Amino acid sequence: MNNGHTVLLIEDNPGDADLVRLRLVEGDSAVNVSCVTRLEDGLASMAKEPPSVVLLDLNLPDSRGADTFRKVLEKAPGVPVVILSGQDDVALAMKALHQGVQDYLVKGDITSNHLERAMRYAIERQALLRSLEMSRQQQLEFKNQFLSHVSHELRTPLTCIHQFVTILMDGLAGDLNPDQHDHLGTVLKSVHQLQAMIRDLLEATRAESGKIRIEQRCITINDLIQQATSMMAPTAKEKQVGLGIRLDSRIPFVYADPDRVLQILINLIDNAIKFTPPEGSVLVKTYMVGADPNMAYLSISDTGSGISPEAKALIFERLYQDPNSVDHNRAGLGLGLFIAKELVELHSGRIWVASEIGDGSTFSFTLPLYSLAKLLFPVITYEGRLRDSIVLIKVELTPLSNPPRTNWKDICQQAMDTLRRCIYLDKDLLLPVMGNTKTSDTSFVAASTNLELAEVMMKRIREQLGANAGFTTAGVLRVSATAVRLPSREDGKPLEELVQAVAEQITEMATLALAVQTSP
Amino acid sequence: MDKPKILIVDDDSNLRRALKIRLRANHYDTVQASDGYSAIAVAQKEQPNLIILDLGLPAGDGFVVLERLRDSDTLSSIPVIVLTARDPQSNKQKTLQAGATAFFQKPVDNGELLAVIRESLPNTWPGKALPS
Repeated sequence: MNNGHTVLLIEDNPGDADLVRLRLVEGDSAVNVSCVTRLEDGLASMAKEPPSVVLLDLNLPDSRGADTFRKVLEKAPGVPVVILSGQDDVALAMKALHQGVQDYLVKGDITSNHLERAMRYAIERQALLRSLEMSRQQQLEFKNQFLSHVSHELRTPLTCIHQFVTILMDGLAGDLNPDQHDHLGTVLKSVHQLQAMIRDLLEATRAESGKIRIEQRCITINDLIQQATSMMAPTAKEKQVGLGIRLDSRIPFVYADPDRVLQILINLIDNAIKFTPPEGSVLVKTYMVGADPNMAYLSISDTGSGISPEAKALIFERLYQDPNSVDHNRAGLGLGLFIAKELVELHSGRIWVASEIGDGSTFSFTLPLYSLAKLLFPVITYEGRLRDSIVLIKVELTPLSNPPRTNWKDICQQAMDTLRRCIYLDKDLLLPVMGNTKTSDTSFVAASTNLELAEVMMKRIREQLGANAGFTTAGVLRVSATAVRLPSREDGKPLEELVQAVAEQITEMATLALAVQTSP
Repeated sequence: MDKPKILIVDDDSNLRRALKIRLRANHYDTVQASDGYSAIAVAQKEQPNLIILDLGLPAGDGFVVLERLRDSDTLSSIPVIVLTARDPQSNKQKTLQAGATAFFQKPVDNGELLAVIRESLPNTWPGKALPS
């Protein structure tokens, strides 16, 4: 061993500990050994200063067997661990190695050479692993930066093409004959396709590096489907593919990011149309499943050529292209389904496909239903009990002009971001938007505080939003607060039931507050 | 009656030319700058009614320009529309916080851009009544 290596020996048997210490000093007098007898002390020592290597007995006063190495690996993932066990248990040794332990030695067999070599190899192997992992990370980072740069650079010339094509089409450079106009229309369509591909490229890159953000709110899924199908209707019509919907009108609110869900839907519907021959049809459905009452189910079925079992297994992978695809004309980058899957999973949903060759395909995915109780739980409970009271703060944004400015939606979005910075995210909850009236955008914050402290929070909200020129020229802000008494603890009811009742109470208060909207 | 004057700041001369054609067709006057430094100089000299600003610029990027504009006595009230190839997820909030009126990613829909230009011009501007 090199000078300066430190060994942490976790061993409760003093005889064994002395023996190991002796073997270590025989092998290399410069090694620095510290010894503890309990796992807890060992973990504390590692947290303070990670040793070069840990020698670990499995049966300690405060931990036994596989649990012992699991805890060590979890607490100090980068530190090489060599197990010194009293018994020669092959199954346990294998388990330990699979989980990341570097070596498993049996105490009776240890000589000083043996121990020294085991420790040296353990340290080297761990260092190698670490550098491999680092270079993998660097490569990934480099690739993502490169793709992000490329998609940015591609936009500049694309913008130029887009601008001049529209200048020509709008007749700003003189009149066109119908043929010329038609040809330019084809160019413009290709520009839009290219634009979508660049967007997907960046999106997939982001998905891979975990950088996609979603903003979940309370949404009506059937409305989004209507929106998606009406957006895709021209594409379907052009290919003479029928596009129908069958919606379950009893589906409750869904907790999801509406822009992202629209993106998933358009992606799947576009794919379905792409792989369906003329005269075929695409059907979008929503439904509930009794065994899975907390999720909404969505499916997109087509009467296309179907997907082979081999393709089915790979279809959600990044860059996958079906080699048997009938329509090579419209082959994309192979990112659409990968992005859809990432987006569904970010919502804690599932996505899958059912298909038979020659018998069409059905892509299905699930989205969580909106449950205020689940979101409210950390706000209104404290140490496993209900709080006495909380405060419901109402923040109302009313546009100054009618109709509001084109970027009103952006302004509200920005105001929400500001609002989020004014509250304590771990203690307060910005309630998902419950549906806005035509005249204003209203948000509610459930704050685990009293009225007095809520005043401070409200002052902060007024100041921060008031300082934003973009907002103050476009809208008016109103902030008000109401204290909410929570049911008494002595009720004897289970906590979940109480939280559910509070969630209903708050929903009712918010709905009522929305109904009596103050006029500007 | 004078037409509203729009300053186009972009390092791509082709895009500046395209925007100029588009804006002139919609009854706006245009002036141009190709980098961050001259953007401020031209703005001071020409006192435009609105600025269309790229983010990736030589000699002081869009954020620097936004900061200079906000710090200036004579230019701070000019509405700025950011038009950039950069992605909105990491830049939109930042530019709006820095004082921009609106953010568009290239390529932009002309209808939307023109609508925001119309709304962003000061209310007193007589040119607002012009047909688009």
